Amino acid sequence: MKNETVENKNSYLSFKLGNETFAIAVQKVLEVLEIQKITKVPKTPEHIKGVINFRGEILPVIDTRTKFNLPVIEDTTRTVIIVIDVKLNNKSMVLGAIADSVQDVIEIPESTILAVPELGNNYNHNFLIGMFKIKNKFIMILDIDKLFSGEELNLTKN
Amino acid sequence: MENLKERFIEDAFDLIAKLENDLLELDKNREEKSLIEQVFRVMHTLKGVSGMYGFDNVGELTHHLETVYDFIREGRLLITDEIINITFTSIDHIKYLLQDEKNNELSNLQKQSEILQKIVNIISEIEENIKTYKSLKQQTPSLKNTETTRTYYISFKPDSDILERGINALALFEELNILGQTVILPYSNKIPDCQNIEPEKCYLYWDVYLATKSEESLIEEVFIFVQDERQIKKISAENLFELPNFLDEIEPFTRKEENIDEAKINLFIQRISKEKNAIIEKKQTQITSENLEHKIQSIRVSSEKLDVLLNLVSEFITSQAELSLIAEQLENNRLTAVAENLEKLSRQLRENAFSICLIPISEMLVRFQRLVRDLSAELKKEINFVTEGAETELDKTMIDSLADPLMHILRNSIDHGIEFPEIREQKGKPRKGKIIFKAFYSGANVYIQVSDDGSGINLQKVRSTAIRKGFISQDAQLTDKDLITLTFTPGFSTADNISEVSGRGVGMDVVKRKIAEIRGEVTIDTIKDTGTTISIKLPLTLSIVDALWVKIDTSHFLIPLGVVDFCSEIKHNDLKLISNNRIAIEGQLFPFVYLRKEFQIKANLPETERCVIIKYEDIKVALIVDIVIGEHQAVLKPIGEIFNYQDIISGASILGDGDLALVLDTNRLIKNFKNKSAIFK
Repeated sequence: MKNETVENKNSYLSFKLGNETFAIAVQKVLEVLEIQKITKVPKTPEHIKGVINFRGEILPVIDTRTKFNLPVIEDTTRTVIIVIDVKLNNKSMVLGAIADSVQDVIEIPESTILAVPELGNNYNHNFLIGMFKIKNKFIMILDIDKLFSGEELNLTKN
Repeated sequence: MENLKERFIEDAFDLIAKLENDLLELDKNREEKSLIEQVFRVMHTLKGVSGMYGFDNVGELTHHLETVYDFIREGRLLITDEIINITFTSIDHIKYLLQDEKNNELSNLQKQSEILQKIVNIISEIEENIKTYKSLKQQTPSLKNTETTRTYYISFKPDSDILERGINALALFEELNILGQTVILPYSNKIPDCQNIEPEKCYLYWDVYLATKSEESLIEEVFIFVQDERQIKKISAENLFELPNFLDEIEPFTRKEENIDEAKINLFIQRISKEKNAIIEKKQTQITSENLEHKIQSIRVSSEKLDVLLNLVSEFITSQAELSLIAEQLENNRLTAVAENLEKLSRQLRENAFSICLIPISEMLVRFQRLVRDLSAELKKEINFVTEGAETELDKTMIDSLADPLMHILRNSIDHGIEFPEIREQKGKPRKGKIIFKAFYSGANVYIQVSDDGSGINLQKVRSTAIRKGFISQDAQLTDKDLITLTFTPGFSTADNISEVSGRGVGMDVVKRKIAEIRGEVTIDTIKDTGTTISIKLPLTLSIVDALWVKIDTSHFLIPLGVVDFCSEIKHNDLKLISNNRIAIEGQLFPFVYLRKEFQIKANLPETERCVIIKYEDIKVALIVDIVIGEHQAVLKPIGEIFNYQDIISGASILGDGDLALVLDTNRLIKNFKNKSAIFK
């Protein structure tokens, strides 16, 4: 049992947004859902797509593509909603994040995580734990607690 | 064991809550015997039970208080301010003690000895008086007889020659009469007919029932010369004459002129005893059933069980909505009938289940009354505290959240609002200030108002304090309403001295926030020298709401029925012909909010739209939607913390087909719209 948890810590789920590949810690992933009808909530910022009925509870859904200023492509059969558990102010918050497709569960030992260079990329590097190189491609490892933290989401009233 | 202890503490707090109430009453009616009795009984109960669970300090305190109140109820002591105050202090201290499990908080121990000393002083004063009282009493000994009365049956069958022996039966009976109460039944059936009577002979015999405290030997003495002709039998250790129908029971025996023999007596006694026991039992069961009835009226339920119940009810309603939808689609008469019935039942179930979680506001009132009493005494102000609508019910969570804000509001009233008696007299007001606490329902809301007839909020002072603290500039133009709004700013306080009571500047902003947390609103109305009224408006909506289901394009929305007045139609083209930003519906003009524009929904614009006229504050506003579908029991689900920044959507509900509908908070919606567009006015 102990081995499993040690391994889990290094397990990451990789997914694609457009042409880019990202990864988040498996421990943070609760479920992966097929894309479904999202109920739009009026007067909300662009990147908050709306809410869905998640087994009788209301799940807010974020469009991660918009959040990263990536072009939003049409939903395909591979588009998914990844249900994640975000730590917000010491409380657990469950969200859905849209991805164009999921790839794999990969092992990324801590020692192999590379620092993100400050220049030369579109994404705010505060949201990334680091990068991982696999087969000549780079995977951005997301720090979703930071990514969806209060300042970003709890927009003040205008 | 731990559970028992917890139960005890809960019960003790309940007892103390009632006690505080009674004490407040007693303070105003110091002669009221029933209240004194109640206070005494609570002290007695607490004393008895607290020892069992290790709360010796509580036991000690209540023991002495019980002594004091015993004296009071015997009439040997009159209730004074000192006694009421020390009782209140003791109650507060007991509350601490009950929570101080290990009984080692120093401050508690110190307080304990202080309070105890004061009570003991009161008692020793009384005992001094009692000593003199007792010595007076001893001069007149009482005639109290502690012996019990027993009932005897005496059968006296003298020989016929008793008269020759010189025994006068009547004299015997007179002697018996001295011993106690008698019923003497003569039997004449042995008297022969006239031809055969010998006048010197006695043919009579008697049954005697005697209730006496005297020993049996004394009875025997009466019959000492006729020992063989009498039978004395003790039939009861109690006075049977006290039984209402005892004499009726005996009557048949005399009429029948039968001999009572041993067997009959036994039967008779048995019957009488049974009846007597029956009467006693009846009385006892009456007493216990009176107590029982009182208890059965309410039971304790853990709030976890309630949460489970409410969740189940919510799930049930969601499923029922699904069923109703399917029934509609299948168009099967029998199924439709059952679905409709189920809808009715689920509505009743929901109302019932949610009302279980409602608690009357009166539960909170004791601590407010205590506050008024203690604080006005401390500040030397005279205040009358009146409550209205104490039976108004609120959800328990709301009541918990309201306690602190209301305490703060009351403190402000007492501290800053109500003037000193002398000043009030100067102003021509009655010496005693008045604070009214009012709760009532209106529309889909509960209102709680705290009004005082004090000096009102000093708006000049507010202005100068705001300038001093840098909240506004010197020459800022502010209306009275703006100045009042300023008082809600964090860190604001006009008090010159920070007293323990108020003035720390952590007041009204916290109040506002806490009330906003339960989706309520606070407003202040104030008139100089007349008084101030603080109103709190709270939503009555719990988590299941009857709502009007409407649709705009493919989006579903729900409007709580409580605010809906009526619905109508409007052609889209007519909307363009609006005048003065009012639309005409059924001959009346209404301000309106075009929701498609507000929510930026552009697709599929219909030719004819619908208006839902809703109540907003004291006016009516029309909301324009595409279609009105009908009524819907909405199980309100929270939409998630990330939506906390906005307040027009108060939740979401799952429709029968699994789609989501968003619940609109129309008050906030219209308020925001108003603020943005000055034209609304």
